[in-house]
Amino acid sequence: MSAFRLKKEHYGYLFIAPFFIAFLIFGLYPLYNTFALSFTDMTMMNSSSAKFIGLKNFTRLFADDVFMKAVRNTWLLWTLNFIPQIGVAVLLSVWFTNIRLKIKGVGIWRALFFLPNLLMPAVVASLFYALFSFYGPVNQFMVRAGFLPQAIHYLQDAAIARGLVIFIQWWTWFGQTVIIVMAGMTAIPVTLYEAAMVDGATASQMFNRITLPLLKPILIYIFVTSLVGGMQMFDIPFLLTDGRGSPSSSIMTNNILMYMKFASAKGHIGAASSVGVAVFIMTCVCALAIFYFMRERDK
Amino acid sequence: MKRLNLVLSLLVALSMALASCGAPSTEAPAAEAPAAEAPAAEAPAAEAPAESGKTVLNVWSFTNEIRTMAIAFEGKHPDVDVVYTMIPMTNGEYQTKLKASLGTKDIPDVVALEAAFVKEWVEADFLADLNEFLPLAEELKTYPAVVQVGTYEGVTKAYSYQATPGAFFYRRSIAKECLGTDDPEEVQAMVSDIDKFVETADKIQKCNKDYFMVGTSAELFNPFLANRKQPWIVDGELVIDPKVVEYIHFAKMMREKGYESQAQQWSEGWFAGMNDTLTGADGTPKKVFCYFLPTWGLPYVLIPNSKSDTTDTGGDWAMINGPLAYQWGGTWVGAMKDSPNLELAKEFVKFVALDEENLTNWATGVYTNEYLKAIDPETPDDQAQAPGDFVSSQVVVEKITPQFDGSDLYKWLGGQNNYEAFNKAAPKVNGALLTGSDDAIQRALESQRDQYLNGEIDEATMWAQWLDLVRNEFPDLVIPEPPVK
Repeated sequence: MSAFRLKKEHYGYLFIAPFFIAFLIFGLYPLYNTFALSFTDMTMMNSSSAKFIGLKNFTRLFADDVFMKAVRNTWLLWTLNFIPQIGVAVLLSVWFTNIRLKIKGVGIWRALFFLPNLLMPAVVASLFYALFSFYGPVNQFMVRAGFLPQAIHYLQDAAIARGLVIFIQWWTWFGQTVIIVMAGMTAIPVTLYEAAMVDGATASQMFNRITLPLLKPILIYIFVTSLVGGMQMFDIPFLLTDGRGSPSSSIMTNNILMYMKFASAKGHIGAASSVGVAVFIMTCVCALAIFYFMRERDK
Repeated sequence: MKRLNLVLSLLVALSMALASCGAPSTEAPAAEAPAAEAPAAEAPAAEAPAESGKTVLNVWSFTNEIRTMAIAFEGKHPDVDVVYTMIPMTNGEYQTKLKASLGTKDIPDVVALEAAFVKEWVEADFLADLNEFLPLAEELKTYPAVVQVGTYEGVTKAYSYQATPGAFFYRRSIAKECLGTDDPEEVQAMVSDIDKFVETADKIQKCNKDYFMVGTSAELFNPFLANRKQPWIVDGELVIDPKVVEYIHFAKMMREKGYESQAQQWSEGWFAGMNDTLTGADGTPKKVFCYFLPTWGLPYVLIPNSKSDTTDTGGDWAMINGPLAYQWGGTWVGAMKDSPNLELAKEFVKFVALDEENLTNWATGVYTNEYLKAIDPETPDDQAQAPGDFVSSQVVVEKITPQFDGSDLYKWLGGQNNYEAFNKAAPKVNGALLTGSDDAIQRALESQRDQYLNGEIDEATMWAQWLDLVRNEFPDLVIPEPPVK
C-alpha cells in the first residue's frame, strides 16, 4: 500500500520524532518568523498590509541611545547578580559537601535557599515595592532609627533601583545554583580527595586542583544558561516600577524595551522583533565565546 | 555536521511522510477516533446557535459591567443570544487579543473600548460608522466630550453609557479648621484656578505643618493636560503644549514647598491619606486635604479606602469642580465594521449607550440580581449594578438627580448630591484632546518627571530623555526641540 515502509531498526527515529516535530513548530518556526518580521513594518493594526522595509528597524534601533542603554542595563544587572550568585553558590557547596566539616541538615539548608525561587516574581516585586515606597516600612525604620534624617524615594534613585533588582535576582536564583553546583561536586569521586589528603594536600589545593577542574562543565553550563536567562530578564524590573524601567530607564532591560515596542499604541511587532533578533545574535555570540574560551586545551 | 544535517533532513522527511500518508492498516481506527470525538469537544461552543435558531451576537469587553446590559438586551430581544467574552486588560491582554482577532473569523460584533485605547480604534478603520445615531445623541443631550472622543474626522464610531468628569474631593473638617468654612461653594471659590489653589495650599500648610494639600501633584497631570490647546500629536508632529511645561513647573513647586505628601499615586501611602492613617517616617500622623478623582473614583477608590480598622472618614468629604475641568477614564462601545450581524451590533450599541430607559435603569439600580435572573437564570450572583454610575445623557442625569438625595452616597458626602455636582462639571470637559498615542507619551513623561521632582536629573535632561523615549516608541513621529535646553 505504501511505498514507505519503516524498517525495524529505524523505529528509534519514530520515538524521537515528537521532540523534533514540537521543536520545529514551537522552536524553529517562531525563531524564523521573528527574523522575518524584523524586516517588516508590521503592527497589530496592519498585519495584512505590512511591507518589507529592509534594515530600517535596525537602523532605528541604533539611531538613538535607548536600545544601547537597555543592553548596558541588562549586562550590568546580570553581571552584578551572577558574580555573587556563583560565588556564594560555590562557597556554600564547598561547605556542604566538605567531608571534614560534616555540616548537619544540608538538605534543609538547601531547601531554604531554594524557597525564594518558588515565589512568583509578581509577589516578590510588589513586596519590595511596598517595602521601599515613600511611606513604607524601610523608610519608617531608617528614620526612626536615625540612619536617615528624613524619608527618601528609594525607587526614584537609579542606583538603589538597580541594586534592588540585582538583589532580588540573586536572592531568588542562588539556591537553584547551589543545587546544581552541589550535584556537580558530589559527582566528583571521593577517592580523589582521599588520595589528595593522604598526599598532604591543603583544602585550597584540593579545591583548585580537583574541585574546580572537574566542576568546569557544570560551571560552563550555569554560566551559559544564566547568561541566556539574564539577557531575557523581564519580570522583576518590569513589575518593580512602572513597567518602563523607571527611574530614568535605569532598569529597562532588552525585553522590557521589546515589550514596550510591542505594547505601544499600534503594537509594532516588526520593531519589537528587531530587538529580539539583536538580543538573539548578541546572546549567541557571547555563549559561543564562552564555549570557545573555556574549551579543554589539552593539545 | 554533515551527519547532523542528514539526520535532521531525514527526520523532517520522516515526520512529513508520517503526517501525510500515515502507517497502513493499523492506524486507521486511531485516525477515526478523533473525528468521532470532535463534535463532543465542540459542544459548548456550538450550544449557542443550536438554541432554537437565535441570532448570536459576540460582545467583547474587559470588565463584567456590560454583561449586565447584555442580559437586559436579551430581555428586550428574545430572539438574540449575546455571547459575552471578558478578557482582562491589566497588562494589555484585551488589547492584544482584540488586535489579533482582526481579519480572522473570530472578530467580535461589538467591542468595549477603554479611554486609554478607544481613540486608537476610532482613528483606525475597523469600527462601523455610527453617525446615524447622532440625532439620538443630541436628543438625549449626550455630553459633548463623550461623542467627541468617539469621533474621528467627522465620523462617530463609538458611544459611551457613562461620562467621567473629574472632581475635587476635599475633607470638610480640614476645610473648617484651616479655611474657616466647609461650604462647597465657598471652598470652590478658594481653588477656582491654579493660583488660588496654590494660595490655599499655603494656607493649609501654615494652618498645620502635618497637613498636605494633595496626596501627590501627579493627580493634577490629567487636569492640566485636559486644558491644553492642542493634543499630543498634530499632523504627525509631537506638540508640547505650554500647559505641559506649566504642569512640570507646578509639580516642582508643589514638591519644593512641601504641599504634597509625596506618596505615589495608587501606593499604600496614597490610600492611607484617605482614611487618616498616613504616618510620616518619623511617626507623626499626616493628613491629606484633597484628592482629584473622576466619577468612578468615588465608588471604586475613595469610599472603599475611607475606612481603616480604626478610622472612618465617611461623611467628612465634599466634592467640587476644583481648579481645572477634566475627565478621566470611561468605557466606549463600538460595532465592528466586518461583523456579519452589523445591524444587530449597532442596535446593541444604541441600547447600551443611547437608550433612555436602559441608562436610567443602569444608574438607579434597577438591574438587580432578581431582574437579571428573570431573563437569564444563569446570571452570576454578583452581576447586579448598584446605583450611582454617572451616565452620559444629560437628559437622564437631570431626571434622576433628585433620586440621589438622601442616598448612602449623599450621606457619605456630608449631604451633597454627587449627581448634581458631576452634572455641573461634565459639560465643561473637552474631549477633543485625546489621541491614540496619549498613554505611551504620558507614561514616558511621568517616569522622567518623577526623577526631576526628586532632584535626580535637571529639567533639560528630563525633557531630552523624554523626547528620546517618545522617538523610540513612535519612530514616525516628528519630534520638536525640547522646551528647555
